[in-house]
Amino acid sequence: MKKIQILGTGCAKCMKLTENAEKAAKELGIEFEIQKVQDIKEIMNYGVMMTPGLAIDGEVRAVGKVLSVEEIKKLL
Amino acid sequence: MSEQRDVCCSGDAKTLVLACSGGSNAGQIANNVMIELDKKGVGNAYCLAGIGAALSGFVESAKAARIVVIDGCPVACGKKALERHGIELSRYFVVTELGIEKTHDFSNLDRETKEVLNEIVSSL
Repeated sequence: MKKIQILGTGCAKCMKLTENAEKAAKELGIEFEIQKVQDIKEIMNYGVMMTPGLAIDGEVRAVGKVLSVEEIKKLL
Repeated sequence: MSEQRDVCCSGDAKTLVLACSGGSNAGQIANNVMIELDKKGVGNAYCLAGIGAALSGFVESAKAARIVVIDGCPVACGKKALERHGIELSRYFVVTELGIEKTHDFSNLDRETKEVLNEIVSSL
């Protein structure tokens, strides 16, 4: 199962990234879980300086941008 | 970066300042200057060790930011660590090219830091 983490404190961009990630995973038909990491200290523990951030299976793959559904599909 | 608004969904790319922080006067001057640039609001001090360790959060954050690197000497560890990940530098400084001789004498760091800081600030 893919673990998708959205690193962000819950602003509009973070929610859009969450929506895109869910859609990408569903369109690929993969098993996944989405975790929203909203605690600022936990986000900083990833070294992430700009949000939203996207991590897949514990690896940060994008920072500071809302990836499209197609971009996320490539990462999954 | 103590407040939430500093990190969440900022519209513009941040400027991150990284220093080699090596084991010589020059490396420690680079570190001190990084801290002073952070205090002056030039950019956020950032962790070169995270880049060197190839930790994904650090590497991806650096890719999304404007990068200022301060190396102590021409060995250029900081610059090379970033370039290994294909990260372009916006500005680059080498302490020994700014009038400081590389030694293991740490007794004049305050004075030398001020000299290098003045040089760098005047060129930014």
